Amino acid sequence: MIPFVAVVSLRNRESRTFRLWVPLILVWLLFVPLMVLLSPLILVASLACRVNPFRGFVVVWQVLSAVRETEFELDRRSAGVSICIL
Amino acid sequence: MSGHRRQILEMLAAGKITAEEAERLISAAEEPSTTKFSEQYSAAETKGRPKYLRVEVDAEEDGRHDGPTRVNVRVPMQLLRAGVKLAGLIPAQALHRANIAMHEKGIPFDLTQIKPENLEDLVEQLSDLSVDLDQKDEKAKVKVRVFCE
Repeated sequence: MIPFVAVVSLRNRESRTFRLWVPLILVWLLFVPLMVLLSPLILVASLACRVNPFRGFVVVWQVLSAVRETEFELDRRSAGVSICIL
Repeated sequence: MSGHRRQILEMLAAGKITAEEAERLISAAEEPSTTKFSEQYSAAETKGRPKYLRVEVDAEEDGRHDGPTRVNVRVPMQLLRAGVKLAGLIPAQALHRANIAMHEKGIPFDLTQIKPENLEDLVEQLSDLSVDLDQKDEKAKVKVRVFCE
């Protein structure tokens, strides 16, 4: 399943942490009409590159699904940021 | 043949553990107490299948009063698998160009050799990967650690 939420944590110099829950599902929902509009172009590009468009879709879906549980943390004394994809 | 011994031999045949680890596990399995064996077995099983690739960077620059910078990245192995599948979609001409560009940069790597069929072998070999880099000079001190967990 593709990730639905990303948690972004920001820490400032006073060690106050702000946690932001980003609903990725809204991003995917916005992408759907865009992908529908671009589908003829994607189809032509896939055929030009001799790539099966359905296989391409499946692989892109697998990449998006695999992004879950990815974590990135950057920490300094003055500030810190952490991104976790759920 | 006992169930434990068979499992160990299967893990050895699959390349998940080394011969030394198999020997240790078998001798532990033959001991009367099986608690130690269970711990070792689960450790070997866990070690055989890493879930994440972790990159840790610890950098400290002289003259900065901000303290050291720490970066910690955790990438699921599943993403590497999906990435290799994605690379399989790249047209051969593009891969050839990428190979040439990498050779020019001194990286003798053939991208056409990465195939989904070899995927599991590739990921399994990564379980033993551990890179430690420790660099110190007048201006900065950098530690990089790459490992699987």
